[in-house]
Amino acid sequence: MPIEVYAIFLLSAFAVISAVGSLITTDNFYAALYMALTLVTIAGIYALMNLQEIFILITFIFVGAIGIVTVSLAAVYKFRPSRQLSKLWLIPSALTVVILGYVLYTKVTYIALVGRINLSGLGLEYFLLISALVSLIVLLMLSILSISRGGISD
Amino acid sequence: MIDVALSLVTSVAILMIAYVMAISSKDLIRLLISLELMFGAVFLALLPLFSIETLLDESFGIAVVTIFTSSSELLILIGTIVKLDRMKEDITTSSIIAGGEGL
Repeated sequence: MPIEVYAIFLLSAFAVISAVGSLITTDNFYAALYMALTLVTIAGIYALMNLQEIFILITFIFVGAIGIVTVSLAAVYKFRPSRQLSKLWLIPSALTVVILGYVLYTKVTYIALVGRINLSGLGLEYFLLISALVSLIVLLMLSILSISRGGISD
Repeated sequence: MIDVALSLVTSVAILMIAYVMAISSKDLIRLLISLELMFGAVFLALLPLFSIETLLDESFGIAVVTIFTSSSELLILIGTIVKLDRMKEDITTSSIIAGGEGL
């Protein structure tokens, strides 16, 4: 097996472990940090698959903007003493993972990724769509800033 | 050649961890974190789409729309949490009763 396959195995394992860390920690701040780590690892899998455009979008938009806002919000409400994990739900969840994992692993075939996205070949509609979506995110960010600074009356 | 099942199994595992987290969350920050993990699982589930050469541009479009719409949804939730804290000075899930008490 080539080294990339081992790297994807390692990143996948790391993503699941950091997600478990996010689940079992009682501190919201660390849970948010583990969540950011999981998302960066998922973006890393895209980068290893030679899909750098998606890696940049996930890292900049999802981790960079939303992840950091979540981490800062979690830092404000940092201390939560009570245990938050419901152990009763762990059993059916673990069973679902095992069953679905087994079915997917036995039924899904191997694939070969087909290389890079040709950005120059994409039409004007894509860039129009991305511009509209970036504007939407900026507007939402401004609204949240306005709410957090008390710009809108309760 | 890469085993597509690996990304799907990882996606399912992260999704179930996020579900358990959402079910057992006692405050809205924890709920927000679990939602972000769920969207992370969705991004992983999109990966096999990029293996179909004729659908490469469409896959990119789907990924872009998914990333931006999920980000917008999370931003709205963050705004709601800040607003709720200002109104009730409490961000626990038990403090939210509107919309569910009549059921």
